Amino acid sequence: MNERSASDFPSMRITADTPIGYELQPVKKRAVIQLMGSRLWGRFNPNHWDPDYAASTGLDAPIQTGEMSSAYIAEMCVNHFGADLFRNARVVCKYVASTLANEVITTHGVVREKTAEGDGFRFRVEVWCDNEAGEKKTVGWVEASVGA
Amino acid sequence: MKESKAILNSLRPQSDVQVQQTKAFIKELEQKCQTYWDMVEVGDELSRELHITPELVILYADGVEDFNPWYEAWRMNSWRIPGDSPFGGAIVPPLLVSHFVLSVQFDHTRPFAIGSIHTYHDSEILAPIPVGATVRITTRAVDKYEKRGRRYVRHDAEVVDTEDGTVYFRETRDILSL
Repeated sequence: MNERSASDFPSMRITADTPIGYELQPVKKRAVIQLMGSRLWGRFNPNHWDPDYAASTGLDAPIQTGEMSSAYIAEMCVNHFGADLFRNARVVCKYVASTLANEVITTHGVVREKTAEGDGFRFRVEVWCDNEAGEKKTVGWVEASVGA
Repeated sequence: MKESKAILNSLRPQSDVQVQQTKAFIKELEQKCQTYWDMVEVGDELSRELHITPELVILYADGVEDFNPWYEAWRMNSWRIPGDSPFGGAIVPPLLVSHFVLSVQFDHTRPFAIGSIHTYHDSEILAPIPVGATVRITTRAVDKYEKRGRRYVRHDAEVVDTEDGTVYFRETRDILSL
């Protein structure tokens, strides 16, 4: 069994002992225009990869699909919740500002609630993504059950 | 943070022939598309099957530079492999199917409405999806609304295993339409 998230970085794993206020370890990504415009992600919309087209629609630069930042948040949460993010979990994201090509995006998460559930706990984590200037791009929350 | 036009263009260097090819591609997209607002009526229900192959998962994960080995049922040199995760074989990244809802919620036989923006999702991840599964994605348009002069289309979506009926995923999502 591959337990990368649990065994390679045991200090990151959220457990029944994790307190409210615990800060998740971020992941950091550059908004690489070639990835934004790849066929699977954004090729169907030139606002995601063509500077001239983006300018013609009033954008300062090509913008990432919001789902890429959701995927970044999910990666951070898998690092901390492991298998528990794949069953009875919830991820809510609102894209409050566009992520522009070449920005460096950092994910954040803070445990805000911890509720007894069965033999374990239901955790609620406030999550967000921001750029180098601290401007928020995506905000939301994630819930997962640990040891329940 | 705003980049200059020169910096932006340097991020995607192109020769003259590539510039021409890009312009032709965009022109074709613009000619065919229709706004999502006009394509959707509340109550519209659409459904499609998606076979989640190992290669599809790799394409998705590489695009967001997520190299978790749990998602690998394809590896260079070995090619297709069973993979390894806490659930046995390789599994699908938690939000992968969310990305494909867009290809279901609007008539996929028509071109994408370029210029529209995904603004919100509320996703329930109910069970791990094994790589190699075939799922049925079903969407239903539940609302069209205007807010601060902008037009939004709201859908509910559900993702179910075609073989055993396992409900893997549910979602409510909004698209800002032109």
